[in-house]
Amino acid sequence: MSDAELATPFRQRAGGAMKDAFLQEALTIATTKFIGLRREAFASFPEGEALRDQARAIKEATLQRLDQHLETLISNVERLGGHVHYAETSAEARSIIVDIAKRTGARLAVKSKSMATEEIHLNEALEAAGVTPVETDLGEYIIQLAHERPSHIIAPAIHKTKGQVAELFTRELKRPAEPDPEALTLIARGELREKFLQADLGISGANFAVAETGTVVLVTNEGNGRMVTSLPRVHVAVMGVEKVVPSFTDLMVFLAILAKSATGQKLSVYTSMVQGPRRAGELEGPDEFHLVLLDGGRIAQIDGPLREALSCLRCGACLNVCPVYRQIGGHAYGYTYPGPIGILLTAMLEGTPAVRDLAHASSLCGACADACPVRIDIPRMLIELRREVDDRKIAPWPERVAFKLLAGLLRRPWLYRLAARAGRIAQKPFTRGGRIGRLPLVFGEWTRTRDLPPVAPRTFQERWATDRDLRA
Amino acid sequence: MTTRAEFLDRIRAQVRRAPGRFQAASARRPRHAAAEAEAIRRELAERWPETLEAFRREFEGVAGVFHRVASVDMVPAVVDGIVRERQARELVTWHPTALGADLAPALGARGLDVHSMPAAEPAGSAERERLRTIAARADLGLTGVDLAIAETGTLVLVSGVGRPRSTSLLPPCHVAVFDRTALVESLRQVGVLLEAWHGDGRAPAGGASINFITGPSRTADIELTLTRGVHGPKEVHAIFVEQPIRG
Repeated sequence: MSDAELATPFRQRAGGAMKDAFLQEALTIATTKFIGLRREAFASFPEGEALRDQARAIKEATLQRLDQHLETLISNVERLGGHVHYAETSAEARSIIVDIAKRTGARLAVKSKSMATEEIHLNEALEAAGVTPVETDLGEYIIQLAHERPSHIIAPAIHKTKGQVAELFTRELKRPAEPDPEALTLIARGELREKFLQADLGISGANFAVAETGTVVLVTNEGNGRMVTSLPRVHVAVMGVEKVVPSFTDLMVFLAILAKSATGQKLSVYTSMVQGPRRAGELEGPDEFHLVLLDGGRIAQIDGPLREALSCLRCGACLNVCPVYRQIGGHAYGYTYPGPIGILLTAMLEGTPAVRDLAHASSLCGACADACPVRIDIPRMLIELRREVDDRKIAPWPERVAFKLLAGLLRRPWLYRLAARAGRIAQKPFTRGGRIGRLPLVFGEWTRTRDLPPVAPRTFQERWATDRDLRA
Repeated sequence: MTTRAEFLDRIRAQVRRAPGRFQAASARRPRHAAAEAEAIRRELAERWPETLEAFRREFEGVAGVFHRVASVDMVPAVVDGIVRERQARELVTWHPTALGADLAPALGARGLDVHSMPAAEPAGSAERERLRTIAARADLGLTGVDLAIAETGTLVLVSGVGRPRSTSLLPPCHVAVFDRTALVESLRQVGVLLEAWHGDGRAPAGGASINFITGPSRTADIELTLTRGVHGPKEVHAIFVEQPIRG
């Protein structure tokens, strides 16, 4: 999202999304479908629960020796003839990749779907360097043509209708397109097939990297991951440092639960394991293979409050079940990663001030933690983020004052009783049908989107003090 | 520019400082992967008919088309049928040594235009380009299979000499030929085999790419409408040969 869009407060962005009738319908259909598919997949997979526990343990165990696993990965990638690069920041990652493109004389780059390259805003940098980046995942291709950003981690264009896609193709590709998904897919196949065969540079992310064998693993349904890693003469894979797993045995545990959590498939159509550049005797595969290891704020969280979020597989399951995401969609969050996990990742990558409002974009219902294949306790970290937002005094002042007053009341029973009595009188003009629907002044912020229950005619404390039957 | 040493030092410092969240271990790897892989193979040799039936069910579940023939010399007739149904005639195939059988003469005799991929590295980039153009133009790609996973209906293909990646990727129709020696039951067993290939065991080929293929290429990116053949093949066929192909 552009800075201009980010300048719009989160509430306004969310409010806009909630007034978009099509978006509302698309979100409901998509997220409901994904929830059902995921549930079915695990219902017929009795070992799933134990594998989720094991997957979580593997992630934690890997973090406990992350330095060693990365060293193993690096030495194996280099042994296989690949090159490894180290990027502390997004800017550094961009310049590494742009340098590779320039040195190899690349003009056209094909990209398979990668949240990491979205995160570092790679496309703009490539364009500035005279390299044309083409997104090849159908959803990503659509939003690239539309100059937008993904609205869902695994279904980036769920916010678009087939009519909108047809209009977009007609306008951008200068060829008439019917609003039929099959026909539109065929057009994209033709356009992108040529790009695959012409491209000099293939850019991908990495779902996993196996340290013991120097293997980069890509999971796709369309086959673009295979194209990008097989056809161009140079392949660059960008991965966050947390994506490493020790061995193939570990990898199988994750593969068994990843697709089930994302789309309800037992496995995605293609799981491609790439081990360095083309070998002797091979017809295809790149001459050069580069792996860019990305920090971007991750390393500081190994010993930080968001450590657990480093276990995320980017499956999107927590988005689908989140009552907030289901209402506002991905764009309203304003950053690369939407949904409950996206708030944590945004805090990790952009810093806590970036999530001042987003930290509250959760009902803390816990559905995300239940859906997460590696059982990340997202609500706990959201609460911690809220506390940090408060401690660092980046919350708006009326909110801070209101909660400070409330804290004072809760600590002094006599004051609390007094306030209850005063409240019973003061609330009279605002109570309608047993609810307080609107309050004046800064308190109006609270009642703008929710009702407040009035103080009871007799509070529990008052009843406890007098009613014998209550104590019996 | 961040150097490897700086980058790893920062990670090391964090790892040292961070208390683990809980006692955790990564998955227990097979101690003698090659021996365990051999044990799995032996066990499966006994019960391959059940494994095959499970594979067929899952493979068809992901929209694969399953065929079964008695011996490898019956494969060309099946391939011919698939090609004719598509009103096509051009196909690319793995080299006979990679396939385990030379099917080109029989396919050619049926009037098909067969391009066998070479068993040696092509001399120069022009030849490489020419072969890729053929693969991109072909109506059908014929390959072998290194593993067929019953749990998920997945075909595993290892790249290497005479077995290019594009044969199963660029043509709109992929036909894979396999026998009982490729069958495995579960992803867990695949883990053992992969460990063996990379350890003391023997890998099926020496290429840099291992591909798991679970049905035809698919997308649901436009209004969640399932559409096949977006980049990879629209059709995937698996031909099971009862008599082991390599005798």
